[in-house]
Parts: sequence; structure tokens; C-alpha cells
Amino acid sequence: MSKPNIMEYSYYPGCSLHASAGEYDLSTRELFKVLGIGLTEVPDWFCCGATPAHNVDELLSLSLCAKNLELADKVEGDLAVACAACFSRLKTTQHVLAESDVKRKQVEKAIDAPLKLEGKVKHLLEILATDLGLERLAAAVNKPLSGLKVACYYGCLLTRPTDVTNLDCVEAPTIMERVIEAAGATTVPWSHRMECCGANFTLSRPGVVIQLTNAILDSAKAAGADCIMVGCPLCHGNLDIRQKEIEGVYNVEYALPVFYLTQLVGLATGLGPDKLGLDAMIVNPTPLLKEKQLL
Amino acid sequence: MSRIGVFICHCGENISRTVDVERVAQEVGKLPGVAFSTDYKYMCSDPGQNLLKKAIQDQKLSHIVVAACSPRMHEKTFRKAVEAAGLNPFLCEMANIREHCSWVHENKEEATVKAVEIVGMMVERVKKNRVLPTITVPVTKRALVIGGGIAGIQAALDIADCGHEVILVEREPSIGGHMAQLSETFPTLDCSQCIMTPKMVDVANHPRIKLYTYSEIELVEGYIGNFQVTIKRKARSVNEDTCTGCGVCMEKCPVRKIPNKFDCNLGMRPAIYVPFPQAVPNTPVIDRENCIKFKTGKCGLCQKVCGPGAVDYEQEDSLVVEAVGAIVVATGFDLYTIDEKPKGSAIKGYGEFGHGKIPDVIDGMTFERLASASGPTGGKILRPSDGREPKQIVFIQCIGSRAREKGISYCSKVCCMYTAKHTMLYHHKVHDGQAYVFFMDARTPGKSYDEFWRRSIEEEEAVYIRGMVSRLYQKGDKIVVMGSDIAVGVQVEIEADMVVLATAVQPQKGADLLAQKLGISYDKYNFYSEAHAKLRPVECATAGIYLAGACQGPKDIPETVGQASAAAAKVMTLFSKDKLEREPIVARVKESGCVGCFACKKVCAYGAVEEKEIRDRQGNLIKTVAFVNPGVCAGCGTCQATCPSKCVELDGYTDEQVIAMIEAL
Repeated sequence: MSKPNIMEYSYYPGCSLHASAGEYDLSTRELFKVLGIGLTEVPDWFCCGATPAHNVDELLSLSLCAKNLELADKVEGDLAVACAACFSRLKTTQHVLAESDVKRKQVEKAIDAPLKLEGKVKHLLEILATDLGLERLAAAVNKPLSGLKVACYYGCLLTRPTDVTNLDCVEAPTIMERVIEAAGATTVPWSHRMECCGANFTLSRPGVVIQLTNAILDSAKAAGADCIMVGCPLCHGNLDIRQKEIEGVYNVEYALPVFYLTQLVGLATGLGPDKLGLDAMIVNPTPLLKEKQLL
Repeated sequence: MSRIGVFICHCGENISRTVDVERVAQEVGKLPGVAFSTDYKYMCSDPGQNLLKKAIQDQKLSHIVVAACSPRMHEKTFRKAVEAAGLNPFLCEMANIREHCSWVHENKEEATVKAVEIVGMMVERVKKNRVLPTITVPVTKRALVIGGGIAGIQAALDIADCGHEVILVEREPSIGGHMAQLSETFPTLDCSQCIMTPKMVDVANHPRIKLYTYSEIELVEGYIGNFQVTIKRKARSVNEDTCTGCGVCMEKCPVRKIPNKFDCNLGMRPAIYVPFPQAVPNTPVIDRENCIKFKTGKCGLCQKVCGPGAVDYEQEDSLVVEAVGAIVVATGFDLYTIDEKPKGSAIKGYGEFGHGKIPDVIDGMTFERLASASGPTGGKILRPSDGREPKQIVFIQCIGSRAREKGISYCSKVCCMYTAKHTMLYHHKVHDGQAYVFFMDARTPGKSYDEFWRRSIEEEEAVYIRGMVSRLYQKGDKIVVMGSDIAVGVQVEIEADMVVLATAVQPQKGADLLAQKLGISYDKYNFYSEAHAKLRPVECATAGIYLAGACQGPKDIPETVGQASAAAAKVMTLFSKDKLEREPIVARVKESGCVGCFACKKVCAYGAVEEKEIRDRQGNLIKTVAFVNPGVCAGCGTCQATCPSKCVELDGYTDEQVIAMIEAL
């Protein structure tokens, strides 16, 4: 398949990237600039509904995403999505509406516009691994992440459910590993790549999240990882922000910096810490990166 | 002028519930050519058929239309009744007002109108039916059995015991199939080898069974009663006639570390080998990929030590052609390999279960080899990784089976029972061990099956946990199994020493290719299709080919043996006559119009079209035309659709008849 020389995408950052995950947004824009990939933010985009909407009202959740897809259709290029939850909701909407005439009619009425379901929704990982391609990605690497042992954490939503996201193999994906290995890093095989971190129970049932997230951190540490790489702001929140607290509860020390994939890939292309928002990370990555001579 | 009789069936309520059958009989009675019409509750019953016969005689009917179910169901029944009343059976047609009408509609008024039209069409068609003489073909009373597992062995023995010659073809170097690999068998725990090997010996010694092992079907030509089968005999590199089976060659072979497929790659074998000590024939085969002689030209040790001089490096693959009258397909099953995601298949892998990565995660067949007295560990349950005895063992059922989202929706049928058996074998061998089983349902519908399953729990202390496993991973030398117990509603984690996956039963690899050679149909999983799910479960839709065992769907041993004997009985039925009567629904060429383009010959899937020379009285060639061999023609009609000059026609389906049917609408 031939690939276009100039890659242009519409971009749906999602609420987190404009708030708690500002460094994911920043590093995404900077990395794509370096890679020569155009990103045009969808004008007037709004919340995809995330976890709450589809738990309350399916029609509401489908309509929110359908409207965003309609807005995105006005911008040239496939839709690039950074957040795993937004990605999941947008893909689920496309999937559900493609299957059900009844729901399609309801949603069309609700958003008062014709549905635009044909556009491709792509997670950043797909754009890097497939559209750009690992060879071209590797060619853009100036500072290979040599010696850095990365535990790639997929969480629940990137590949699930079956036949909805179609990002990679549902239960045994390798796309994150392929991307970060192209940037010169070493990946570790580990057991909890696909386990749930507790997601937004972080606010309502923190005890549950602390237990689940601890299992993930414990497993990554046991596998010999230096750091964890994620593609979801919510996972990042639990693994990074809660890490200190978890260390206290279980009386252990992890000290595992939690990077967004764009931060690590960006680092490998030679972007500086200020362009990657490394200062926004709670678990300080500087000692690790200095030790590995990456800063 | 035709005097057509029309008989409308109620099919109990199946038709009359949605179609006003009396009105259909009335309306149809008014059609030109129809001399008599009536309706009856069950036309196929004895009184129904008598009604038909009586009407033919009393009303002097010339053609018959029976409006009832699909002709696939009862066309033969009614044609036989018509014949008994003195009419040519092919002057009887069926109008399908059940599958095509009453079953698929709800509105009685509309369905009735449609039924009248369907019957009307058949009235127009039957008017143009010709009297057809029955075709007879000779029957070769020899059978081919493909596959030397328990199904093929049973079928071959039954047919041969009835006095007919059997050609048994097996792909592997020995017969025995998967049953020879099993340790003990449910529900009686008798040793598989003890009940299997005598049958294997019977095959080898039977005067009427010709055994071709290490051989494959290359080509199948012909038709029921008259097949020509080309069999490829792969070069064994050892002469079967002179080899005494002493085994010195195997002892001396310097290559020793080839994983033995028969032992699920747990044990090792030399490059010249028999798959297992009880193999039939007990003639070794050289694995040319791993043999030093074939790789480098050096060595040749086995030839030097062979007393009778049976080792032959020059041997080549050879082809033999056998004429047979019937074929039994018994190619069996394979287990789903979960670490391999088959290319181009809808089936998704099970990467989350670590099979192929974690050495102590094994499949059910590997456990059989571990438990088998003739296996690589001499019957001790030991971990492949470090040879330790596992003290906590987890069995997980339904791996691949009943998992629509993973690509297989069927139940593999044998796993519940063999897992229960595994827990018992484990308990018998590891007294201080604990077995856990994750299961969705326990499916034990067989004689003494449920009692067997209960025994594994009540007497053999297996802990059954209703729920599935989401993931497992290696932690130190343990395997952590994460699952759910849905009966209690809790998450379960078990630190196991060994995990056994009950992987799905699938058809043998290449089952689809064999089906294409045979011209039989198969389902989306490559299981072979029977002609009728209930009433013709061992016959293929292709005449003269029969099915036995797991190649048709997952089956346990008793069921497989039963089906194999049933297939043998069908073969015997075929062989009970010297001549075979065939339906004369075949294509005919209008030689005057045929231009000899042979487009029909190219499309004929059955090789029925031949070239025929037309000569004048002086013997000068006028032209070459197509000729359809009525013994071979299957009546599919492809030639009729292809012929550019409209000069091939299928009796009963001529253009004239089809147009008459359309015009009747």
C-alpha cells in the first residue's frame, strides 16, 4: 500500500489533554511536528462522554461521539486520538451505529445532522506504527533510548473489546513494544500489561485503585523495568499520581517514572524536556534519564 | 393432452397453519391440464401414498404434482409411489410449499396466493417432463478408507469382514491416529493402547485390507461405484517387504534429538524411526529433513547395520491407482494450537494464556502423553520445564471452544469428559496433589458419563470452579492463574505448578484440500458436511462417499466407532447389488446444433463431457461434438448454463420448462 508523502490528520485531544494530561498534548504536538505529520485540532470539539455518559444513557453517549465525528469530518485527514478512553468511545460509537439502524436514526435525530461514520479514527500508536511506519519512525530517531527498559502498559481500552478498536491482537498485543523498540528502547515481557488499573474509581473507590495499581507497579518492577509507558491519561493518573501513596500503603519503593508514549518517542527524536512536559510528571524521571544518559 | 393430478399436503399443521390448502386444491383444479386435485393431512404417510396411487389408476392421470415439502425431503418417496402405480417416476414433480412458503410467511391470505402460484409453476413444468429410463452403472466392490485412526480402522475391518477388499490410506508412518496417543479412556479408564493395538494388528493381518501408510490421496476421479483414486506413497526410504522391524537402525542412528510429534514433542526420536513402539506397520521411516545422509551425503550407518538390506536411500515417492466403488472419509481431528494464530483465518489466538511461552502450560494431548505408561516420562506426571512433580495443577476447559469472539462457536464435546479423566489420572499418580478445574458448564451426556464426572469431584477430590480464566503468567517457578468463580462471585488466583488447557477439537489441517479433491462439502470450520443432519448422518451429499469420526464434527470414541460401523454398513448396502440404479436427471447434447466449442467440457466438475466424432456413411469426419456420459453426469446443469448455442439441456430443467414456469406466474 502506498503511503501519502504529506500526512495530515484531524486531531481530537479530549478533555484530559487540555487539563491533567497537558504534557501528553504538548509532547504529541511537538513529536508530530518533528515527524512532519500535520495535526489540525477539530474546531469546537467537546467531551466524548467518557465513562459516565454511556453508564447513564446510551443515546447520550452515542450522540456526543457522533457529533464530534461529524465535526471531525469537516477537517481533512483521518482522526488522530491520543486518549485511550476517547478512542474507545469514538470507535464504539462507529461500531454500534454501523450495526443498528434503529440507533442510527435516533442519533441522527438527536444531533440533527447526517451521520459521518466512514472517517477513520486512529490512535496515535496506529499512526506511528502503521501510517508512518516503524522504518520511518526509526529513521527519525536521533537519540536512541539505548539501555532503557520499558514496560509497555496497555490498560483495558486500547485493544478491547474484540472487533471494536481493532488496534492489535486483543489479549496479546505488541504495537506499543514495536513502536518503542523502533525508538531504540528495550521492552520487558511482563504479566500485567493488560490488567485494569481501576480507572475512574480513583475518585469514588480509591482503595480498589490502590490495590489494582499496586499489582501493576509490582509486576513491572519485578520484570526489571526502568519505567512504564502508557497511552491513556487515566492510567497515567493512577500509575503516576498515586504511586507515592501506594508505596506508603504497601511499604515498598517503586520509583517507576510513567511516560506517555509521545514523551519517550519524542525524547528519542531529540526533543528537549521542555517540549515534552517532563516537569509535569509526579515521579521524577530526571535521575533515570540522566543515569541512562538520555538527558 | 395431459391429465395432471395435484396433491396438496397439510404436513400436519406445518403447511395448513399458514396456507389454506383446500383453497389451493380448488384453485389449482381449475388450471388447464389438471384433471384432479385434492388435499390430505400427511401425503407422505401410507394412506397418503395410497390415495395418490388410487387416483392415478382411477383418474387415469398422466403427470403428478405433489405440493408439500422440499424435494430434498420426499421426492424419492413420491416418485416411488408413482412408479408403483404404473407411471414413469420422472413424470412426478414436487412443489415446495413448506420451506418456500408456509414456514417463511405469516399472512395466510398472501401465503395461500403464493402457494397457488408455486403449484401452478410446477404444473406447467411437469407437462413438459419426458419419460426417463433409469440408468444403471456397474459397481466396483472395493472400498477406500481415508485415515487410519480408530474410525478408519473400524470401518475398514467391518467392510473387510463382510468379504470385500479395502484400501486403507494413512498419512502418518503408522496407523492408530490420536487414540493411540491417549493414556486411559473415559468413562471406564481402560488403557487406550490395550484396546487399540489389537485392532491395529487385525488391520495389518487382514487378508482383504491393503494398507498404505505414509501415503496421501493425490487425485479422485469417477463417481459412485466407479472411482479411480491416485495415491501418493511417500518415500519411506525403508523397504516394507524386507524390513523385519528389528530396530537396529534406530539404535545406531547418530541423530537422536528430534522432538517426537507422537509424544507432543516431549520425547526425542532418531532420524530413522517408528512413531511409537507398537506402530503398525513396524517399519521405520527416514525423516529426510533431519537425516545426515540426506543432508550431507555422509553417514549411511543405518544401511550398513540393516541385516536384510531394507534401507533404501534411492527410494522415491510413487503413485498407485486403485479402482474402488465407495469411499469412507475418516481423517479425524487435530487440537487447536493456541499460540499460533492461523493466517487468513477468523480464529484468533490465546496469547493471554502463554501457551508456547510458558513451558508448563500444556494442552490436553500433551497431558495424555505424560500420563501414558508408554509416554516420554513412563507415565509420571512431571513438568516439562524442570521435571518436578506438580503439586497444584489447574485444568482450564473450553479453550477455543464455545468462544464466538475467538472464532469458534461450537462445543468440542470431549473436553469435559477428558478433563474429568485427567483429574483422576493426576490424583492416582500424585497423591498429595490438588487439581482445580475452571469450567463454564459440565457437558456429560453419554452412558455413564455424568457418574464419571461426579466421581472426579466426589471421590478424586478435584475442585471444580465455575468460571473462566482471564489470564495467566509466570511468577518465579509458579504460574499464576487469574480467574473468576461466578458461583460465589469472587476473583480467584491460584499459584499452579502446571496448567493444562483443554483446547478445541478442529479438523485436520488440509481437510479442506482433501474435500476439494473428493468433491464433498465442508462447513466454515472445515468439518465435512453430512447429507442430512438427522436422517443421513454418515453419507456425504456426493454419492458413494461416507463419513466416519471427528472429521465430521467433534466426537468421542464410542460415537466414532458407531459412526464408522454405520458408514461401513452404508458401503455394504451399496455393494449388495451388482448394478447401481442412478437417477436419469442428466444432461443431453443436441448434436445437430453443437459446434464443438467444448465450453461445457471445461466447466464440468465431474469430467462427464466427452468428445464424440460424427461421421458420414463413408466414414468421413463431419464434426466433433460434445457427449455427456450419463453414468458420470451429476445433473448439476452447469453445462446448460454455459453452452453458447443452447445445445445442452438437463432433463427436467430444460429452458422450455423454465420459461413455461415463469410464464405461469
